[in-house]
Amino acid sequence: MTSDMFSKRIDRRTVIKTAALAGVAQITSPFVITARAADNVKIGLDNPLTGTYAAVGKNELIGCQLAIEQINAKGGILGRKAELLVEDSTSGDAGTAVQKARKLIDRDKIDFLLGNVNSALALAMAGVSSEKGVLHVVPGGHTDAITGATCHWNVFRVCNTTQMEANAVAGTLIKDYGKKWYYITPDYAFGHTLQAGMEKASATLGGSKVGGDLTPLGTTDFSSYLIKAQAAKPDVIIFLVQGDDMVNALKQAVQFGLEKKIHLAGAQQELEPLEGLPPEARIGTWVFEWYWNQPGVPHVAEFVAAIKKKTGRVPTARTWFGFVSTWTCALAANTAKSLEAVKMAKALQGFKLPPEIALMPDGAFYRAGQNQLIPNLYVGNAQAKGSAPDDLFHVTNVVKGADIAGTVAESGCKMTWPA
Amino acid sequence: MTQLLLFNVFNGLIVGAFYALMALGLSLILNLSGVINFAHGGFLAIGGYLAYTLIPYVGFWGALVLAPLLTAVIGFIVERVLIVRVYGRDPLYSLLLTFGLAFIFEDGTRFIWGAQSLPFQVPGWLMTPLSSDYFFLTGYRLFMVLVVAIAVIGLFLILTRTRLGIRIRAGTLDLETVSVLGVNVRILRNMNFGLGVYLAGLAGVLAVGQLGLQPTIGASLIMPSFVAIIVGGLGSLPGTLLGGLLIGVASGITTVFFPSATEAVIYVMMAVVLLIRPRGLLGEEGRF
Repeated sequence: MTSDMFSKRIDRRTVIKTAALAGVAQITSPFVITARAADNVKIGLDNPLTGTYAAVGKNELIGCQLAIEQINAKGGILGRKAELLVEDSTSGDAGTAVQKARKLIDRDKIDFLLGNVNSALALAMAGVSSEKGVLHVVPGGHTDAITGATCHWNVFRVCNTTQMEANAVAGTLIKDYGKKWYYITPDYAFGHTLQAGMEKASATLGGSKVGGDLTPLGTTDFSSYLIKAQAAKPDVIIFLVQGDDMVNALKQAVQFGLEKKIHLAGAQQELEPLEGLPPEARIGTWVFEWYWNQPGVPHVAEFVAAIKKKTGRVPTARTWFGFVSTWTCALAANTAKSLEAVKMAKALQGFKLPPEIALMPDGAFYRAGQNQLIPNLYVGNAQAKGSAPDDLFHVTNVVKGADIAGTVAESGCKMTWPA
Repeated sequence: MTQLLLFNVFNGLIVGAFYALMALGLSLILNLSGVINFAHGGFLAIGGYLAYTLIPYVGFWGALVLAPLLTAVIGFIVERVLIVRVYGRDPLYSLLLTFGLAFIFEDGTRFIWGAQSLPFQVPGWLMTPLSSDYFFLTGYRLFMVLVVAIAVIGLFLILTRTRLGIRIRAGTLDLETVSVLGVNVRILRNMNFGLGVYLAGLAGVLAVGQLGLQPTIGASLIMPSFVAIIVGGLGSLPGTLLGGLLIGVASGITTVFFPSATEAVIYVMMAVVLLIRPRGLLGEEGRF
């Protein structure tokens, strides 16, 4: 046994450096390599595959992949084969997302850019795509600014604005559960705008805010916030956190028995977190942006079957976002009969999605002058058990997007087109 | 206000007890082997996922016993095959190795169990609050504190009363002499690493009772553990315990006054401790 078998003493500085490295570790991620060919029409997806949003990012990817298969089966884009290039944007590092977007545009010469789940990353990517003049579809980043104050002629969005989600659910909450609301809000762009939207929507209906906390993204322990919320004696606790944070917050709220005293609700809810919750914590009133169980709506069953065949599970709103985003690229090019971004963006003004893509009772269209998709929204309650194992949401009210979207002027979008 | 503050102090102690459990394992490995185990969060996640997989067969209680043991077995193997090669080298090597392992564990769990949170259920009677006023004192959280207390007492008994523990403590002070006295240092380190990983696995099973079970669960919990060690002082297990409890209470109190700083406050605390008492509250002199 030699003496170098023995450890060197670890000093404090090393431990601190290590801690710093742990911080970095959360924002770095592996590189995704995809095969590519020169004459294909390229769609670049720059979206989270690792970190907090890995699950929803992956579902968007599956939707994109199904759309690519369908597009190619139907003759491709302008007769050329469509191809999906995938990059991991990480869940929270805008620097990485921007760098990957630049790589896709400059090196891979993509024709379309898709992404991002994270609102802040979507905004950063929109800066790049508009500078380069590439048609950009945001599948699932909700903050209002993307199709509001910082809208661009080339940036389209599939998911709703936070204000639309707030408007959709506010009436039901005030009417059925009470006017005094307490907010638990994630501390970043999405959360801020969603809470502002909820406050605005509730104020117009006579509601009021009795308190609220901004929680850091990735919070694991919500107990201290829940203690504060309960002390404020609200009628409703509004959970605006998402993803894993939503799972943690609801799980802990139900363990505390808060649902027996105060109504738990929120705006945006998704199938992914509900699936991650034990049955007793699948509660509350929410908005879904798309739901797989829509009896009687044409083409939905085929879409559900196609995704089930791919993954064994039902599609979520995220799968639909990816699907619609990718189809939007093909429809834009085929309608404009061109791959020039300006012509395609013009073709999408007021464009109504065909029913087999929209998959909603009233259809969906891109509102002219704002580039925001105006779909149906589904208000209802989470449920422990439904008609099928994945039926975790009971829709009580299908809202027409046009009724709650406000006007283009209200959105704050002033679009300027290139000369 | 006083009540709110009091609630949050109590609640902070509960949260801190959990941080301490994770940090103790980390600290144990660091003290004897000089390895900063970055993959500790990964072992925690594995503990949680193993419990999830075992529950249908052995129930919650069986999983609570078995999952940490299985995690420890993985720990033994990892130590024997990989960690053993970086002993005695510059700390950078073990850092890079465990850093890489952390990624492999995270993506490995994502590959096997999927990226999506999985529903983890603990027995219903544990999930109810004991009283409606002290609603944050649920059966499960008290149970968690109890398990942490048992684990901590057990660990201290092992360290002070058993031959293995005495050797671990002696090795922490002077490994070379312990080796010269005829103790097989290889086995000692292996056992010690396994013990540390066992604590990570146990923390994992306890964590998924109230957090979502997803591949990133370890990464989100490892930072407070590092801070607990630095605040408490390197080389001191009681210090680590104290560090964990302190940061739990500090972030609890911060929620009352400045909620968006609950995460930042533990780093501020770390900075203050480093400025005023660089070796940490109970850390031994000369470790920096």
